[in-house]
Amino acid sequence: MILEKYDVAIIGGGSAGLAALRQLSKLGKQAILLEAGTKVGSKNISGGILYSKKPKKGQVTNVDELYENFLEDAPFERKITKYILHSTSKDKEYSMDLTEAHDYQANFGCSVLMTKLNSWFAHQAVESAEKIGGGIIPGVHVKSITWNEGKAIIQTDELDEFEVKAIIAADGVNSEVAEMVEARSKFNPTQLYQGVKVIVKLPEEIIEERFGVSSDEGAAHLFAGDITLNHIGGGFLYTNRDTLSLGAVYHYDSLIRNPIEPYALIDVLIKNPLVSEFVRDVIPIKKEIDKSLPQEEQLRIRFGVAKLIKTWKEFRESSLSPSGRQSLINSGKYKTNESIQERLSIIEKQMAEKFDVTFGTDYVETEYGAKLVPDGKRCKMEKPFFKNILFVGDAAGRGVFVGPRIEGLNVGIDDGVRAANAVARSLDKNDFSESFMGEYYSQLIEESPYTLDMKQIDKDYLKIFLDAAKDVPKDIIGSRYGPILKMMSSGTFRGIAVKFANILGYDKLLPMIESENTYVKVPIQLAERLGATVSSTYSPTIPSIADRIAKLNYNDDHHSHIKVLNSESEFMKKIVTLCPAKCYSEEGGKVVIQHEGCVDCGTCSQETEWKHPRGEKGIHYQYG
Amino acid sequence: MSLNVGVIIKLEPDFSEGNVSYNPDGTLNRAETKNTLGPHSAVAAQAAFYAKVMYGAKISIGTMGPPIADLALKQAQEISDAEELQLYSDKLFAGADTLGTAEVLRVGIGKMQGEMDIVFAGHRASDGETGQTGPQTAWKLGFTFLGNVTSYSVDLETRTIRAKRLVSLQGSPDIIEEVEAPLPVFISIDPTFKSSYNTISQRLSFQKYQKEAKERVKNFNNYYKIFNADELGVDKTLVGLPGSPTIVYKVERVPKSTATRSAEVVDGSDPKQLQKVVGKMKEALEAMVIK
Ligand SMILES: Cc1cc2nc3c(=O)[nH]c(=O)nc-3n(C[C@H](O)[C@H](O)[C@H](O)COP(=O)(O)OP(=O)(O)OC[C@H]3O[C@@H](n4cnc5c(N)ncnc54)[C@H](O)[C@@H]3O)c2cc1C
Ligand code: SF4
Repeated sequence: MILEKYDVAIIGGGSAGLAALRQLSKLGKQAILLEAGTKVGSKNISGGILYSKKPKKGQVTNVDELYENFLEDAPFERKITKYILHSTSKDKEYSMDLTEAHDYQANFGCSVLMTKLNSWFAHQAVESAEKIGGGIIPGVHVKSITWNEGKAIIQTDELDEFEVKAIIAADGVNSEVAEMVEARSKFNPTQLYQGVKVIVKLPEEIIEERFGVSSDEGAAHLFAGDITLNHIGGGFLYTNRDTLSLGAVYHYDSLIRNPIEPYALIDVLIKNPLVSEFVRDVIPIKKEIDKSLPQEEQLRIRFGVAKLIKTWKEFRESSLSPSGRQSLINSGKYKTNESIQERLSIIEKQMAEKFDVTFGTDYVETEYGAKLVPDGKRCKMEKPFFKNILFVGDAAGRGVFVGPRIEGLNVGIDDGVRAANAVARSLDKNDFSESFMGEYYSQLIEESPYTLDMKQIDKDYLKIFLDAAKDVPKDIIGSRYGPILKMMSSGTFRGIAVKFANILGYDKLLPMIESENTYVKVPIQLAERLGATVSSTYSPTIPSIADRIAKLNYNDDHHSHIKVLNSESEFMKKIVTLCPAKCYSEEGGKVVIQHEGCVDCGTCSQETEWKHPRGEKGIHYQYG
Repeated sequence: MSLNVGVIIKLEPDFSEGNVSYNPDGTLNRAETKNTLGPHSAVAAQAAFYAKVMYGAKISIGTMGPPIADLALKQAQEISDAEELQLYSDKLFAGADTLGTAEVLRVGIGKMQGEMDIVFAGHRASDGETGQTGPQTAWKLGFTFLGNVTSYSVDLETRTIRAKRLVSLQGSPDIIEEVEAPLPVFISIDPTFKSSYNTISQRLSFQKYQKEAKERVKNFNNYYKIFNADELGVDKTLVGLPGSPTIVYKVERVPKSTATRSAEVVDGSDPKQLQKVVGKMKEALEAMVIK
């Protein structure tokens, strides 16, 4: 067997790894990207809003610079033009417009679905990579890295081992690369958030009408207050083209203190009347089939109804989207919008007359998913390299998360470009030593405005935030907040408050900002005292976790990628509750795992021998 | 060092659900049934593609059939990224048995670009063929015949092939036989053939050729050529009916099984009914346990 040799390997095909590939190819450098999923994008999940930023100091590479045709061609969902924070308490709701905070130093921020978007990124990156002998190899899981005379030897579960001069590790928050070479220890719960999310179907034009946006605009809604069930974090709802991303992101340590099933945090959000109304749609209701009929007849009816409902769903969805209507008209079967509408009525009539189908109100959930998110403020790698490996994005623990500011994607893309630049320089000088390549990359990362954002709060951003909160009554703010936050209600003192906040520094400020007060108590008070009453016309039927998992797309591996180390530990007993896919159960005081429904979130990785599934195995998202 | 690979394929009725139609007497309604590349031919095309990825082989595909058989060539090109597609079509060829067909294929293979090193064929057709066309074509070509090949590798320097063959003997377990032969060879490929690409460079060329195949299919006509009997230059006494010594003496329908079974329709959404099924499965399993 001959050992194949390449210049650079990128491990992980999320947005950060793909950015590195794109940049290296632009610089004319050969790189091979290895991705565990069957297709690039199928293992990635985000909230998500992808930002393009213009920091006042320093430079970043934005998605629309790395992919010049991004704005014209990329399958992003909607440009977010409304950004609202809702404080909730039962049927009371108080909203604050944070659009100015969302726009802060931003060229734009658009909602995205990772499966689709990363697949597009891959397509763009591969075109240039192929020309210089590089490319993307999906379905391959890297399992070990060793060194021979300074060159790294990569072993995978699927391919013969091969040699590279440099590695960019972009394997996400649960980076096995970081662990296998001991570049950093596993992130601990104080350094992480747990994110859980569902995709809700909603026709395009209903979204526009309901959220008050035009066809190329979108809205983001954030939630705090009683929907947190006393945890530190909150909910989000972003509009996509014809779906909604609805999710919850909570500080992992707050979940450990007060364990709760992650899906319960989504469920409570859906049950909030404001959210219930946001996700509401028309759904067909089938009549119970008469059980006294012959079984064949019962089956015939069941298939008939199912087929007609499917037709109705697809047709209605097209009829409520300009592009859908256009393609119906292009197909030649329909001349005008009216004839499309007519056809829809006919289908509905058929449903009613043939099968007694009626129409009701509910919401339609299609995909459930979860993943840990590294809290950059607390876990960014101080030394983001090891030998000839550079760490980027989530793998390096990098992201800017402060209050409503949620940015991991843009940070990872910028990191990917910086790592690619460092590697390209090393290829030119044929020096991949820590002092030449690693230190240089570290310096590039240090210059990143995002790194500064992970170290201190941006006072101008804080000021915008405080301005938006100027109507908050002083006495709502608890004593723990101290004088600074009280000052915020006064226009003259706000500037001083911000300065003072910066003097205090992140270490002292964070426990104040990221507290039960901020996420739970103050919002509840706000809603109760200043909020308007909201009500919902129906109560949503929420799928059980078993139903949610059953809908996901897995390529089962009989071999478990997770091994419980201590089945009796207190931590593992909490994981029984905290695993978003309910893979764990306790039997006779011992925690056991059933790995089949695992969504690779990483929540249990603290006290398990945790690996990603082998290539092509495990969860594959459709939306992400 | 180049490698020329030929593939012979067949357009067959599509037996997948919804595409097949039967006459009232139970025979196949060929007019109503859709056609497609035969599943065994598809495996042969995959085996040829393996030679392209691994050894940069040039691929030529040939088929004998009516003009609509270009569909099979198109499908096979998409799988194999073939650079040459030949259809042998003439009224004269009608009514051919396997020997008559083999003669056309032999001459066709001779018309392919370069001298063939390996010719692949599916191990049989799914619409009533007896699996003899391959061996007979091999015999006519004078090539070594390797049947039921499940994997292979080629040594371009010594121009030899190593192949694994699945040998099924009635009454004893299947065995895998490993053989080595000098090129040229004629291979009938086993349906269990799977190509595995274990290095980065193989995966990259796999992707490259797959992409290329998609592009080629778009320009199918640039690669496609149709030959009639004259253009092929076949000996007309050796093809079609005159070249077919097989006499179909009688076709018998397979008698309907006399065994009966009573099936019960179960509503899968009703837990009670499912419970019953589980009960029965348990019973059956218990009965299987040797006490
Ligand atoms: C619920 C939620 C909401 C979020 N909201 C936002 C938001 O609104 N805006 C924002 O900017 N960010 C948001 N984030 C964060 C953002 O999604 C992440 O920062 C970003 O997706 C990380 O990208 P990445 O490329 O670093 O890692 P990932 O996308 O995790 O990619 C890692 C890849 O590596 C592969 N891999 C792992 N191990 C191996 C191996 N051993 N061999 C081969 N391949 C391997 C994986 O299959 C995966 O494809 C959110 C995250 C979550 C979970
Ligand atoms: S088993 Fe672990 S990694 Fe998998 S879903 Fe549960 S907590 Fe997440």
